[in-house]
Amino acid sequence: MLAIDNLSLSTRIGGQHIDLLRNLSVSLGRGRVLGLVGESGAGKSMIGRIIAGHTPSRFEVTKGRVLFDDTDLLALDRKAWRALLGRRIAFIPQEPLTALNPVLTIGQTFEEHLAHLGIAPNERRALMLQQLDAVHLPKPDDMLHRYPHELSGGQCQRVLIAMAFVANPALIVADEPTTALDVVSQVNVLRLLAEQRRQHDTAMLLITHDLRLAAHVCDDIAVLYAGEQVEYGPAREVLRRSRHPYTWALDQATPDVHGPQRRLSALGGQMPGISALGSMAGCRFASRCPQRLAACEAAPPASIESAPGHWVRCLKPRDVASNSANSACESVAATWQAPGGNASATPLIELRDATLCYTARRGLLGQRKVRNFAVEGLSLKVQPGEFVGIVGESGSGKSSVAKLIVGAEELTGGALLIEGQNRALAGAEVRRLNREHVQMIFQDPHSALNPRRSVYRLLTQAYEADRPAAAMTKRRRAGRAQELLGDVGLPKDTLARFPSQLSGGQKQRVNIGRALCVMPRLIVADEIVSGLDVSVQAQILNLLLELGRRHGIALVLISHDLSVVRYLCSRVVVMQRGKMVEQGKTDEVFSDPQHAYTRLLLSSVPPADPSVAWPPAAGTSH
Amino acid sequence: MSAFELSASTKPHAERASSVASALRELARQPRVWVGGLILLGATALAVFAPWIAPHDPLDQDLLHMLAPPMWARDGSSSYPLGTDGLGRCVLSRAIYGARVALTVAIAAAWGSMLLGSTLALVGGYFGGIVDRLISYVVDLWMSFPPVVLSLILLVGLGTGVDKVILAVVLVDWTRFCRVVRADVLVTRRRDFVLAAQLIGFSHWRTMLREVLPAVVPLMITLFSIEMGIAIVVEATLSFIGLSVPPEITTWGQMLADARNDMQSAVWVLLTPVACIIVTVLACNLLGDGVRVALDPRLRQRVG
Repeated sequence: MLAIDNLSLSTRIGGQHIDLLRNLSVSLGRGRVLGLVGESGAGKSMIGRIIAGHTPSRFEVTKGRVLFDDTDLLALDRKAWRALLGRRIAFIPQEPLTALNPVLTIGQTFEEHLAHLGIAPNERRALMLQQLDAVHLPKPDDMLHRYPHELSGGQCQRVLIAMAFVANPALIVADEPTTALDVVSQVNVLRLLAEQRRQHDTAMLLITHDLRLAAHVCDDIAVLYAGEQVEYGPAREVLRRSRHPYTWALDQATPDVHGPQRRLSALGGQMPGISALGSMAGCRFASRCPQRLAACEAAPPASIESAPGHWVRCLKPRDVASNSANSACESVAATWQAPGGNASATPLIELRDATLCYTARRGLLGQRKVRNFAVEGLSLKVQPGEFVGIVGESGSGKSSVAKLIVGAEELTGGALLIEGQNRALAGAEVRRLNREHVQMIFQDPHSALNPRRSVYRLLTQAYEADRPAAAMTKRRRAGRAQELLGDVGLPKDTLARFPSQLSGGQKQRVNIGRALCVMPRLIVADEIVSGLDVSVQAQILNLLLELGRRHGIALVLISHDLSVVRYLCSRVVVMQRGKMVEQGKTDEVFSDPQHAYTRLLLSSVPPADPSVAWPPAAGTSH
Repeated sequence: MSAFELSASTKPHAERASSVASALRELARQPRVWVGGLILLGATALAVFAPWIAPHDPLDQDLLHMLAPPMWARDGSSSYPLGTDGLGRCVLSRAIYGARVALTVAIAAAWGSMLLGSTLALVGGYFGGIVDRLISYVVDLWMSFPPVVLSLILLVGLGTGVDKVILAVVLVDWTRFCRVVRADVLVTRRRDFVLAAQLIGFSHWRTMLREVLPAVVPLMITLFSIEMGIAIVVEATLSFIGLSVPPEITTWGQMLADARNDMQSAVWVLLTPVACIIVTVLACNLLGDGVRVALDPRLRQRVG
C-alpha cells in the first residue's frame, strides 16, 4: 500500500552535493506496521516529512518514488496531495502537548479538524464523543471543554490518536508517539494504537529510536544509520538475528530489565553529522564499525538478501550463529558487578522521614493555602561507594529528592544527615564544605553548561569559588583540567572549545567532569542519560561505573528507565506520588517485585526477547 | 529529535574562538552596526573638536548678517555655510556645539539608567521573593507616571543645567532597563548552570556576576544604544521649552525654539537642528538594532 522505492533526499552545503537519505526502499502492506528505527540524526523523521510534503527548504528528493496506493505522491500536484493528508494518511506527532493549540479547547481543535474533513456541523459532536470514548478517555463530553494544559501528556496523545483515526485513514505515520511519555502511559498508548489499528484495518509507519519497542510492535523494521537503510526485514528476525553490525551494536548497547546482567558494549564515536556525509564515499557506518574492511570505505555496499525478506547493506554481514552465543559479553560479565559500597560505614547521606511540601496560596487574597507534597516521609541511606537508583514516573517526586540531597531545596519536615551530622543544625562552614561531599549532574547537559565558558573553565569552575582564588595557580588548574579530561574520556583539544561546539554526549561528559573536580564522595545524577542516544548512553553508563570503581564515589541515580538503574545500581528505591513504595537490592526488587506499582513499571519495559508478547494485555501485570 | 542538526561545531572558524571575539565578528558583519557606529563616531568627533571645527563662536552675534541664507543659495556667503539665525549667529557652529550637550546627555543618561536599572533588575531577578516583588512594585508605580510630566516635575524641582537633565532622564528611564533586563535575568536564573555554580560553592555575589550578568550583557548593550536615542530626544524636548540648560549653552532644542519665529522666512535655521536630531537618533537606533541582531543567538541563526 505504501512503497518507498529507492528514495534519495539531497541538499547542497557549500557547493557540495550531499545525500541525506540514500537509496531507501521499504514497503508496507495494508494493516501492517513498519518500524523506522535509528538514533537522532539518522534521518528517520525526514521520511515522515516527505510523506507529509513538508520537506525542509534546501532539501529535495532527487531520486526515487513514494507510492501510496500505486500513485506516486511526489508526482502529485499539491492540491491532490493535500487532499490525501488527514483523510487517507494521518499523522501522530511526537510532542502531544505542543501539537495541540493551547488557546483552543480540545473540542474546538477537534471540530476544526472535522470541518477540514468536510463533516456536517450537526454530526460533529456525536462523532467527537464517539471517538474520544473509543480511545478510552474518561468523560468525553467534559473533555471537549478542557484545554490541553489540563490534560496529561498521555491524555493529549489519546486525543491526537482519536483525531488521527476519525477519517478512517489507510495509513498512520506516528513519529516517536511515545517518546515524551512515561513508561506506563507509553504502554497504554501503544496498546490503544494497536487496538484502533485493528478496528480500522490501518497500516502504520512507526518512527522510533527504540529498537526493542519496534521489534515488539512492528511487523517489519528498517534500521537507519546516517540516512542509510542498513538493515530491513521482519521485526523479530532483525532483533534476534541481526546481520548488520550497527543493529547488533544498538541492541548490545541497550541494558536489560530481565535476564542475566551483561556488560554493555558501547560503540565508540558518534554518528557523522550532515556536513561530514559528503566526504564519505563508502559505508557510512565504516568509521565506527568493529569489523571494517578496506573495501567498506571505497563504495557504498549493495543491499543483499541474507534470508527471505531480510535485507542487509553490509559487505561482511554478521554470522547469525554467533548472535545467540554472546560469548564475548559473558566473559566480561563475570568481572563486573554494580558497586555495592561499604554497608558498615557511616552513611554519606541519610534522609530521615524527609518531607518537601510546596504551599500555594489560592483565592483572591491568598487566604486558602493548598499544600502539595512533592516528597512525603522518605527515608533513604546512601553508603560510601554505593550506587543507589531512584525510579518512578514523572511527578513521582524523584527529582525533588535530588534537590533535597544537594541542598537546592530545604526540607519542610524530617532531617537530612550528612556523615551523621544534621545539615539543618550544622554551621555555615559545614554547609559550605557540603560541596566536597555532594555534587550534582544535571538532566539537560545543554542548560547545565554556561555557553560563555570554555570547557577548561567549566571543568575547573569549582576553583573559582575558593576565597583566595590566587592560591590556585594557573598551572595546577590546567593540570587538573587535563586529569579530568582523561577521567571523562574527552580528547585533549576539547579544552579550548565551547559547549556549542560539543555533541550531546560530550557535553554530558563535561558535566560529569565538572562535578568530579572537587572529588565529591557522592554524585547525584538526575536523568542524565534520558536525552542521549542509546549508543552514547552506554558510553556514559560505562564511564560512571568506571569512575565509581576508580575513585570510590557513591552515586544516586534518578531515572525513569528501569533498565539503566538495573545496570548501574546495587540498590533501588521505587517512588510513586512522592512516597516510597519499595526499596531493596536491585536483583531482588527486579526479580521479585513486592509492590503492584513496581510490577507495573517492570512490565512496561519492552523485553529483550522479541518472542515475549508485549505490550502486555490491559489489567494484567507481568 | 531525529532531524539532522546543522550544528555550529561544523563551521571551521568556530574552532578555538572566544565568545567575545565571535561576538565582535558577528557585530562587524552587521551593516547597521557600521552605519550607526560611524555616524555616532563622527558626531562625537565633531563634538569633541568643536572649537577647532566650528567656523564661529556659537554665541557670536553678527547683527549685520541676520537670517543669512546657506552658502549655496543666491545671497549665501561662505563664511556662514548654513546661514545665520535671527540674532546673526552661525547655524553650523551652533549645530556643532549643540552636539556636545546632546551626546553628553545621551551617553551619561544611558549609562546612568543602565547602571541603576540593571543593578536592581539583577538583584531582584536573582534573589526573587520579597526583594523582587518590592522592586517590581516600585517599577510599576514609577511607570504609571507619564514620563514627560515626570521629567518636567523633576526639572522644575532640580533647576536647570546639563547634570540636572541627565539626572532627570536617569530617574525617568531606569524602569525600562529594570523591566527588560529582569525578564532576561529570570530566564537565565532558571538555567541549570546557575544552580551548578551554586552547588560548586560560588557565593551569590559571584554567581550573579560570573554566571548571570554575562548572559544579560548583550541585552544591556542593545538597550543602551536605544536609550541614547531616547535621551537625545528628551533633552531636545526639555531645552525646547527652556527647562534644560541656561541660554549660554547651545543645544539643538534651543535652536528649534529660536527658529520658530522666523520659520516662514528662514526655514534652514529650523531644518538644521531637526536634521541633526533625526540623524543622531537614527544612528542610535540602527546601532541598537544591529547589536541586537548580532548578539541574539536566535536572530543570528535565522539570518545566517
